[in-house]
Amino acid sequence: MATLTHYIVLSSILFGLGTIGFLTRRNALILFMSIELMLNAVNLMLVAFSNFMGDMAGQVMVFFIFAVAAAEVAVGLAILIALFRHVREVDITRFNVLKW
Amino acid sequence: MIDMDLYFWVFASMSVLAGLFTIAAKDALPSAMGLLTVFIALASLYLHLHAPLIAIFQVAIYAGAILILVVFVIMLLMTPGERMGVIQANASYRGLGVLLGLCLIGLIAVGTKGVSDIVSMKALPQGFGNPSIFGDLFFSDFLLHFEVVSVLLLVALIGGIYLCKKRL
Repeated sequence: MATLTHYIVLSSILFGLGTIGFLTRRNALILFMSIELMLNAVNLMLVAFSNFMGDMAGQVMVFFIFAVAAAEVAVGLAILIALFRHVREVDITRFNVLKW
Repeated sequence: MIDMDLYFWVFASMSVLAGLFTIAAKDALPSAMGLLTVFIALASLYLHLHAPLIAIFQVAIYAGAILILVVFVIMLLMTPGERMGVIQANASYRGLGVLLGLCLIGLIAVGTKGVSDIVSMKALPQGFGNPSIFGDLFFSDFLLHFEVVSVLLLVALIGGIYLCKKRL
């Protein structure tokens, strides 16, 4: 029987993977996907707690995280495209100046 | 009746494996496919956790909208060293393809079997996970949050359009 502990451990593993990806990779697109992985780990934790505590508020919070993730991706990818126009590169080590 | 332990372990291990692939893949496109596998495995777990609406939105918003946007941008920015042929020749990517296929088959199998068979038989409030309760919560307890999120989406929309101008 899968208990709350199982879900907490799974969620922590996914969050850790996202963190490792974010800190070690240099491709800006993979950094975005690492952030998505972390957001999903949090979503899983919220839904698991919502289920095991019998409170729907956790599931409603997941909707707000969906909206924030959508906003983050829309703006983040637009910034990335604007940067790509200047440096022709998605390697974040090349993004070392704030003004061109 | 699907064995619930097996159900959890199958999708949990799938999501961890695909998560590892997401952060370890050399190219961005296979990485995005790994992330898609994570999304679908997590959607299956949400079904198990009495959250069918969240599972649907996970597939529709995350896998359907957010990831497609990411894939569009990857295709747009794909550098010459990252040709499709190189990606297709890599054997580990084929392994991921098998994993993603299995995950999809599992989700479809669960869907046809009926959600009521796989959810845990724990005592929960009447109508827990029902979409109509979401509506009630959105327009009572979470009304302010709901409005703030709508403003956030509007700001993100305007910001996204502004940033994509030719001359910034």
